[in-house]
Amino acid sequence: MINYFATKMERQIQQLRESAATMISAASDLKELDNVRVKILGKKGDLTGLLRGMSQLSAEERPKIGKIANEARAQIEQLIADKNAELKAKDLQNKLASEKIDVTLPGRKIHCGHLHPLTLTLNRVKEIFIQMGYSVEEGPEVETDYFNFEALNLPKDHPARDTQDSFYITNEILLRTQTSPVQARTMQKNPPNTPIRMIAPGRVYRRDDYDASHAPMFTQIEGLVIDKGITFADLKGTLDFFCKQFFGENTQIRLRPSFFPFTEPSTEIDVSCPICHGKGDCKVCHGSGWLEILGAGEVHPDVLKMSGYDSNAVSGFAFGMGVERLTMIKYAIDDLRLFFENDVRFLNQF
Amino acid sequence: MQVSTKWLKDFIEIDCTADELAEKFTMAGIAVENVIHAGAGLEKVVTGKVSEIVKHPDSDHMFICQMDLGAGELIQIVTGAQNVKAGDIVPVAMVGANLPCGKKIAKGKLRGVVSNGMLCSADELKIEGDSSGIYILPADTPIGVPAAEVLGLDDDILEFELTANRGDCFSVFGLIREAAVLLNKTPHFPEIKVTEDAGKKAADMIEIKIDAPDLCSRFSARVLTDVKLGPSPEWLQKRLEGAGIRAINNVVDVTNFVMIELGQPMHAYDYDEIVGKVLNARRSVVGEQLHTLDDSNRLAKGDELVIADAEKAAGLAGVMGGFETEITEKTKTVVLEAAAFNAASIRRTSRAVGLHSEASGRFERGVNEKATVIALDRAAQLLQEMGACKVCKGIVDIYPNPKSAVKVQFTTKQINDRLGTNYSDKEIIDVLKSLGFDISDIGAQMDAEQAIDRISTAAKHFGKIAKNIAQAGLTKTFDKLIDSSGVKEFIAYEATVPDWRNDVTIMEDLSEEIARIYGYDKIPATLPKGSQQGRQSKTQNFTDKIKNILAALGLNEEISFAFTSVETFDKLQIPADSELRRAVPIMNPYENPLLRTNLIGSILENAARNLSRKNEDVRLFEIAPVFFPKALPITEQPREVLKLAGLIMGRRDPKGWSQNSAEVDFYDAKGIVEELFAQLSILNYTVEAGAHYALHPGKTAIFKKGREILATVGEVHPAVAESFGIGKKIYIFEADIETLIKCTAKKFAFENLPKYPAITRDLAILVDRDVSAGEIEKVIAKYAGNDFKSVTLFDVYTGDRISADKKSLAFTIKFQSSERTLKDEEADAAFKDILNSVRKIFNAELRA
Ligand SMILES: [Zn+2]
Repeated sequence: MINYFATKMERQIQQLRESAATMISAASDLKELDNVRVKILGKKGDLTGLLRGMSQLSAEERPKIGKIANEARAQIEQLIADKNAELKAKDLQNKLASEKIDVTLPGRKIHCGHLHPLTLTLNRVKEIFIQMGYSVEEGPEVETDYFNFEALNLPKDHPARDTQDSFYITNEILLRTQTSPVQARTMQKNPPNTPIRMIAPGRVYRRDDYDASHAPMFTQIEGLVIDKGITFADLKGTLDFFCKQFFGENTQIRLRPSFFPFTEPSTEIDVSCPICHGKGDCKVCHGSGWLEILGAGEVHPDVLKMSGYDSNAVSGFAFGMGVERLTMIKYAIDDLRLFFENDVRFLNQF
Repeated sequence: MQVSTKWLKDFIEIDCTADELAEKFTMAGIAVENVIHAGAGLEKVVTGKVSEIVKHPDSDHMFICQMDLGAGELIQIVTGAQNVKAGDIVPVAMVGANLPCGKKIAKGKLRGVVSNGMLCSADELKIEGDSSGIYILPADTPIGVPAAEVLGLDDDILEFELTANRGDCFSVFGLIREAAVLLNKTPHFPEIKVTEDAGKKAADMIEIKIDAPDLCSRFSARVLTDVKLGPSPEWLQKRLEGAGIRAINNVVDVTNFVMIELGQPMHAYDYDEIVGKVLNARRSVVGEQLHTLDDSNRLAKGDELVIADAEKAAGLAGVMGGFETEITEKTKTVVLEAAAFNAASIRRTSRAVGLHSEASGRFERGVNEKATVIALDRAAQLLQEMGACKVCKGIVDIYPNPKSAVKVQFTTKQINDRLGTNYSDKEIIDVLKSLGFDISDIGAQMDAEQAIDRISTAAKHFGKIAKNIAQAGLTKTFDKLIDSSGVKEFIAYEATVPDWRNDVTIMEDLSEEIARIYGYDKIPATLPKGSQQGRQSKTQNFTDKIKNILAALGLNEEISFAFTSVETFDKLQIPADSELRRAVPIMNPYENPLLRTNLIGSILENAARNLSRKNEDVRLFEIAPVFFPKALPITEQPREVLKLAGLIMGRRDPKGWSQNSAEVDFYDAKGIVEELFAQLSILNYTVEAGAHYALHPGKTAIFKKGREILATVGEVHPAVAESFGIGKKIYIFEADIETLIKCTAKKFAFENLPKYPAITRDLAILVDRDVSAGEIEKVIAKYAGNDFKSVTLFDVYTGDRISADKKSLAFTIKFQSSERTLKDEEADAAFKDILNSVRKIFNAELRA
C-alpha cells in the first residue's frame, strides 16, 4: 500500500511536470506565464497541493519523494525563467518594431547665420597676407582729393581720372574711388623709409551705372610693400603665391603690361580660370582660360617722394584687387547685384 | 583706336595670324581688346562663272549649273535661285565651306542630281545687299579667287584698348614701330614728298599766331589751292572704314587718314571764309559765341582754347571746328592745320562740351609736336596724288619754344635692381635701340665716396692681377682690374627718348620698356627678403568677432550701399531737429543724394525686399560706417562712425514638419543682444525702457553702462514698418562699435567650478502689472545676503486666474558659498529677508 502511494505520487509529480512544461511552452505572454507559475508553484498551486499527500508516505519514502518533488520544482522554475526571458525578448522586439519611424523625414532645422560672401573672401585674403607678415590698415571712406589722387601721382586733368568717375562731396573732398589712398596715409604716418607690408581692404565708390558687373559701391584690397631692394620679381612671386593660396595650388598667373600713374612698371594680372582650367566653353572666362583680377606694379618714385620716402634708398610694389571679382570667380557668380540685394536665399548658401 | 591688319601690312611684313599679332601686342602692353575677322566663314567661298544653266528634269523651280571656278574643270551645282543666268559671276561655296550663316556645305544630291556646292546669296554670306536671290558680282570680277578678297572682306580689324600713357600708339605708324620690335621685322614707311606747285607762298596768304602759348605749343599750316572737292578714292575709304571712320569728302578724309596714320589730328579751313586771313590760337573771351560745325551756338567760358580769325572764334581747338570755315562744295582754297594743343585744356573742354572725338582723344594723351609739319606734308601729298589740289610754297609754322629731346640716365644695375632680373648691358641697350632710343655711354657715374670704395676694392686685387701683365698684356689686365673693382655697376648710359614717346622721362620708365619687350613672363618670381609681423587692429579683430558671434546666433550678414535720402529719413520718422538728418550731401549723386547716418534705413529696405520675394523669415545684421558732417556746408572730411544694426522677423524656428511655428518677438531680439554682450564680455549693464524714433514706444529697451548707451532694441513702429512696405512685426537692434569696445571687460575673469552644492528657493509673487521684473530682480539681489548666487525669472503669468491689474512672477533664487556647504536654515533666512523686502517695496503677495 505504502508503495502504492509512493508510486502514485511519483507518477503524479511526473504528470505535473509534463503538463507544466506544456503550459509553459504554450504561454503566449508574461501574464499567462505568471498564471501558469501561480497555478503550479503558487501557495495554492498544484505542486503544493500534491505535496500535501506526503503525510501519507512512510518515513523512508518521504525524502525520496521530497527529492523528486524538489527536482520537479527546480525544473519547472527553470522552464518558467527560460520562457520568461524568451517572452521578454519578444516583447522588446515587438516594442521596438512598433517604435519604427520614417527616417527619411527631414531633420529638425536650425537657424544658422552666414557671413556675407564678400566677408568670407576678405577674411581669406586677410589670412593669406597676415601669414606673410602684412598688417591690415584702414583709412576713411570720404577722402581728400590729395590722398585719393594727387599723392598717387594723379594730378587734376590726368586722363586716368576719367576711368574713375567720382562721387564728389566738395571739389576737394570725395568718396574714395580706390583703397590706394591708404598707401599714402600709411607712409606719411611713418618716419621716412620705414619698411611697410600692408593691405588695406575697404569699400570704394565710383559713379558707375548699377548693372551685372558695376556697382556704385564695391570692395577693394590694396597692398603695399616697401623696403630696401623690393623688385618687380618680388611682386610677381608674392601675387603668384597669393593666387595659388586663394584659388588653389594649380593656379597659374599671367602678367600683362599696363599703365597706372602710381606704378612703373605696371601690370595687370590674370589667373588661370579656376572653373574650367582653360578648356572648354566656360561662362566665367568665356573660353579664354584667363581672368583678370589684379592691377599692380613697382611703386612710382614720385609716389614715394610725395609721402616723404627716398626712392633711391627704398623701393616697393603695390597691388589692388576687387573683392567682388574674386568672389564672383570663386563661386561662379554672374551678377554683382546679388551681393547688395541681400536676399536671404542667396546669403544662406555661403 | 581700331585699325585693319591690311593697313599695317602696307608697311610691315606680318607673318602671323591677326590673333597671334593681337596676343603679341597685348603682352607688350598695347592691349588688343578684340579681333574682328571680317571674312570669317568665307574661307571656302570663291568666285565662279555660270558657264551653263539648264532646268532640273525633276523640279519646276531648280536649275543645274555648270560652274567655272577657274580650275579648268566645270563643277556641277544645283540651285533653287531664279535670278541666275549663264555668264553671271557669283560667290560659290565649295564642299567643306562653313558659311557665316551657319550652313555647312557637303556633297549631295538634289532630286537625284549631284550638287557639289552652293551658289550664295548676300544673306548667306552675311554681307550687305539684295538677298532675294544669288549675289551677282560685277562682270569684270576675276574667276576662282577667294570671294572674301573681291568683297573686301579679307581683312581683320584690331580693336585696341590703349592705356593713357601711350599716345604714340594711337597711330598706324606707332603700331608699326611696336610691331617691328615685336615681330623683329624692318618697317617700310612711305616716302613723304610734296611738290609745291601752286606758285604762291603760304606765308603770303595766311598769318598764324599763338596768343596762348601755354595751351598751344606749335601751330603749323599749309595752304592748298585749286581744290577739287569730291569723294575719296575707294582704297582710302576702305582704310577709314576699317578704322571706324565714315568717309565724307577727299579733304576731310585725308585729314582723318593722316590722323590715324601719323597720330596727328588735323583740321581743314575754307580759306575764303577766314576773316582777315589770320588764324590765332587764343583763349576764348567769356561769353563769346562759339558757332561750331554742328551748327550749335555755345557760350565760351573764357578758358577754352579757340582758333580765331580776325573777327570770331573759328572753332574749339582740337575738339570741334567752326561752322563758317567748314569745308563745303564751294571751297576752292584750304588751310590745313596741324598743331600741338595742351592735353589738360583739351580734356577740360571736351568734357565740358561732352564731345570726345578721335582728335580730342589724341590731344588728351599728347601729340608729338615735332611731327606737325610731317602730317601737313603727308596730307598735301595725298591730296596732290589724287589730283585734288595744288600746294602753296612753304609751311607757316609757329613754334615758339621747340622742345628739346628728353634724356634719361640709367645703369644696368638700376634696371636689374628694379626688375629683379639679370640683363646684360647689351640686352638692355638692344631693346632700347630697337624702340628708337639713342644710347650713349657716359662713363662711370659715382660720387666721391663710391669712387673711393671702388678704388680700394680694386687696389686689393691689384697685386694679384698685376702679375699677369706680362702674359696677358696691359689692356686685358686693366679690363680685369675694372671688372674686379665693381666700377661696372656705375657705368651709366644716357638714353635719348624718341620724340614720339612722351611717356618716358625717368629710369623707371626704361625698366618697363625692357620688361615688356622681353616679356613679363621672363621676369623671375621671388619673395621679398626680410620679414615683418602681420597683424590686425583691435577694432578689426573686435568687428570680426561680432560678425562671427551674430552669424552663430543665426543672423545673416548683409552689405548695403552707403547712400540714403530725405525720403528715407521721413519714412524712419527721424525728428526734424535730429542730428541724424544732418547728412553729408553728394554733389553728383547716382540715385540717393546723401550719405547715411544710420543703418536702420538700409536694413529695413533689405527686409522689405526679402519680404516682397516671399522670404518671410529674415535675420540680418550689418556693420558699416555712418557719416556725420563736422560742419555744413562741408568744409572737411566728415566723422565716420562704425555702427552695428540687426533685424529679425518671421518664425523663431525654421519652417518644418515638426517645428514650432511661433513668430519671433521682442525677447528674441533682446536675447540676441544679451548673448552677444555675454560673448564680448560686456558685463554689469542695465536695461531700461526707452524711446527711439523708429521703434514702438512701449517695446523699446535701452542697454546702458553708466551713461553710455550700449544698444537699443525694440519692435519697429508699425507706421515705420508700413512706410517700408512691411506689414509684419519686425524687431531691430543697433549699437555703436567703439562704445562696445570701450565697455568690454578689460580682463576676462574665469570663474572656477563650485566646490560646494547650491541651494535653490523658488519665489512666486503677485505684483501690480506695471512693476518691472528688472526692478524686482535688483531688490532680490540686494537683500539676498552674502551667499546669493543668481536669480532667474522662470514664469510670468497674467490672466483669468488672477485679478486683471496684477501679474504673477516666479523666480528661482540660488544660494551658494565658495567656502562651505550651506545649511537649509541659512537659505531659509535669506529667503525670508527677500520676501519681506519685496512685500514692503512692491506690495507683493506670496502665491501659494
Ligand atoms: Zn573658364
